Amino acid sequence: MSDSHDPRTGEPVPEMCTDPKSAENAPRPPARQALMTISKATYLKEAALKNLFLVCACVAVAGVALIFLFVGLEGWPIFAKVGVFNFLGGLKWYPTKQFFGILTLIVNSMLAMIGALAIGGPLAVGTAVFLSEVATPRMREIVRPAVELLAGIPSVVYGFFGLVMLRPIVAHLFGGLGFGLFTVWMILAVMIVPTIATLTEDALRSVPDGIREASYAMGATKWQTIWRVLLPAAKIGIIDAIILGMGRAIGETMAVVMVAGNARVIPDGIFKPFLTLTTVIVLDMPYAAGDHRTALFGVAIVLFIISMIFVAAIRVISRFGKGMS
Amino acid sequence: MRLRRNAALVAVAITLVLAGCGGSASGSRTSLTVTGSTTVMPIAEVAATEFEAANPGKRILVSGIGSSAGIEAVTKGTCDIGTSSRDLKPEEQSLGLVDIKIALDAIAVIVNPSNPVTGLTKAQVSDIFQGKIKNWKEVGGPDLEIGLVNRDEASGTREAFSKFVLGTADFDPTAAVLPGTGQVRAVVAQAAGAVGYISLGFVDPSVKALSIDGIPANETMVGNGTYPLSRYLHFLTKGQPTGLAKAYIDFVLSPKIQDSVVRDAGFLPVAEGGK
Amino acid sequence: MRTRERMNKRVTNAIALSVIWLAAIATVAALGTILIYVFINGIGQITPSFIFTWPHGVNMEGGIWPTIQATIYVTGLSMLITTPIAVLAAVYLAEYAVQGRLVSTIRFAADSLASVPSIVMGLFGLAAFVEGMGLRLSVLAAALALSFLLLPIIVRTTEEAIRAVPKYIRWGSYGLGASKWQTVSRIVLPSAMPRITTGVILAAGRAMGETAVVIYTMGTMINAPISPLDPGRTMPVHLMLMAQEGINMPGAYGTALLLVLLVLGFNLTARFIGRRNRRMQG
Repeated sequence: MSDSHDPRTGEPVPEMCTDPKSAENAPRPPARQALMTISKATYLKEAALKNLFLVCACVAVAGVALIFLFVGLEGWPIFAKVGVFNFLGGLKWYPTKQFFGILTLIVNSMLAMIGALAIGGPLAVGTAVFLSEVATPRMREIVRPAVELLAGIPSVVYGFFGLVMLRPIVAHLFGGLGFGLFTVWMILAVMIVPTIATLTEDALRSVPDGIREASYAMGATKWQTIWRVLLPAAKIGIIDAIILGMGRAIGETMAVVMVAGNARVIPDGIFKPFLTLTTVIVLDMPYAAGDHRTALFGVAIVLFIISMIFVAAIRVISRFGKGMS
Repeated sequence: MRLRRNAALVAVAITLVLAGCGGSASGSRTSLTVTGSTTVMPIAEVAATEFEAANPGKRILVSGIGSSAGIEAVTKGTCDIGTSSRDLKPEEQSLGLVDIKIALDAIAVIVNPSNPVTGLTKAQVSDIFQGKIKNWKEVGGPDLEIGLVNRDEASGTREAFSKFVLGTADFDPTAAVLPGTGQVRAVVAQAAGAVGYISLGFVDPSVKALSIDGIPANETMVGNGTYPLSRYLHFLTKGQPTGLAKAYIDFVLSPKIQDSVVRDAGFLPVAEGGK
Repeated sequence: MRTRERMNKRVTNAIALSVIWLAAIATVAALGTILIYVFINGIGQITPSFIFTWPHGVNMEGGIWPTIQATIYVTGLSMLITTPIAVLAAVYLAEYAVQGRLVSTIRFAADSLASVPSIVMGLFGLAAFVEGMGLRLSVLAAALALSFLLLPIIVRTTEEAIRAVPKYIRWGSYGLGASKWQTVSRIVLPSAMPRITTGVILAAGRAMGETAVVIYTMGTMINAPISPLDPGRTMPVHLMLMAQEGINMPGAYGTALLLVLLVLGFNLTARFIGRRNRRMQG
């Protein structure tokens, strides 16, 4: 473990047990003995501070709870009124006529996400492999900042770009209005590249160099090493990255609403307009009232649950992966 | 000047937020509440700013929540002037409201300039927007799929178009739904098979406005009442307007505002109308 | 190995590597296209009057100053709210926490917060702060909603920064008899400060570009907010509305460019600080 090596010189450093209160060192003297080495005032102060920090850390938990609480409170009446199955399974979203089915929206969101992943995933993994294995340091100086800058561009700017530049091109090349899955896929793919690429690169970097050297020593080409050794070794990290990218794609609103076309049907072609879980909220909220508004909060709950499922999936897969190795 | 403006806007914000349309009762000498249609709101807002600049000390508070809500508010007395982008319904005629027309709105059906079609009947427009007609060749145009462009449900223009053209029928649900006039215009201007509808005042050389039932969409035809897709925008007051309300309404009806603000907002001066 | 296998191996390698190069080039090209397009179309708009005057008229001609003020105000306020809490939370996770159910829950919660779609956060802000706390549409409501969004980001970067401080520095401090808090506050945190700052600046850049959260908590009214209870329209919201209305496209381009410049400026500053720090640390 890196603990026992001096980070600067690499020499091994003997394990020392200096601070009885530090959680890093073991074994340590039993608590009662520790208490006797410091004054009560200091102990109380340290304990108070620790609890303060703990409270701060728990703000995150409080946040999740609050989101569930408030969004849930606003949204649950629609489930009560229409029924969970009708809401989730109903194909018709015509709130003005009391039809509150979001299945169409769910399907559309999935379609958008899968396509974006199919394009952005390989692009991102390729870029990550480039950064980690193929690039010269000078190339790295160009490409890595590019990835980080891509991550920083606000989603509304992506949407704006899609609206004013990409849509006319798609319309010109493929006919129709230029809205639709194809355009959304293009924009979303570029948006999830930084998410997936940075994590994939991290995963690749944490594969020990020894493995690479062993592979080359056996006569493998770079590509063979990457494809048969490194990518499988970094599999868990890559899957995590992809799931995070999926979460980002399905939760994206601003970029999608400007290029999707917003028709409340399942599109019968990749150049036809469609509406998703996220865009329905942003389009309907300005004038929604009563049940309609409640239904939109219901959609928000569904989105929140979907994103938490993704997070849970990552944890489960990571744990499973660690168990395996 | 900046500080006064800031203060004014903060006051507007707080008041709007606190009451939507309340606070001062009608006839108050120094401030006025105007609420209702979001279509009328731009005119009311800009005119209010200019009015306030010309009449220091007076405050006009404008908000937009919908024509029906505006009518209800002015009837109940929770605001001074109600605005509406639709005519009063028969059951609303007897509420004692005074209907003052402040602008003329016409809706033009627009297509791409490369589209050879120059006019349609109202029935054809209705069928196209219901999705019954899917190809331009069915209405005398080229063999090109129709790219239907609709407005969002919050739009007063969509409301009006629906009433004029579709009656009780529904829009084609596979149509693209765009949230702004400019977007509709931009998309139709660029996509060969596209068709949409916007306020006549926003038609520019990038798109072509079709004639409906043989009547071209231009100001003259709208003015003499023959163009079928036109409507007035209304200010409504409970009883004849007096004091500040009357001053503001007269201001909005003055030629200066009618030619600048009303046209800027995409509408036509009410004087253009025959009545 | 036979010659044919050797050749196949080489050919596949060459093809695969070119594809990988293509991927990297495509990514850089995507960035370049977006930046160049926004720059070319927007640069004509960037004049002092655009930056410092107010919009006027129904089509929002003129400048965008109130949106700039609103953006800076809400970003600053949200950073003020989040940073102390996030840094202290990271201190807990990095220095005090023991693996267990509680820490696991905290991390799960932090990850969940980080993955919440921003529109859900916007509706949350609407329900909890605008209506629930009675704040109405205001900078404060938006800042509170934004802080939940930014919390996990700053916690993550701060925790990494703290963990990067070498152990022997702590040992030295404890060896001299310092308490844990003394060590953390006087040795660890100052040492980690450049990286923490980098993380905070990056988070601020993210906050500036947020649209969905702000639109439901701060509103769309053109206003230069002064008190935290004032509503306002931030630059990303302004961009969205201008793009949707579609009538004043030059103004939209100008707003987009200004926004991109601001966000990229923050990004590059953060990287610069990070690089300078790394150089200093050898």
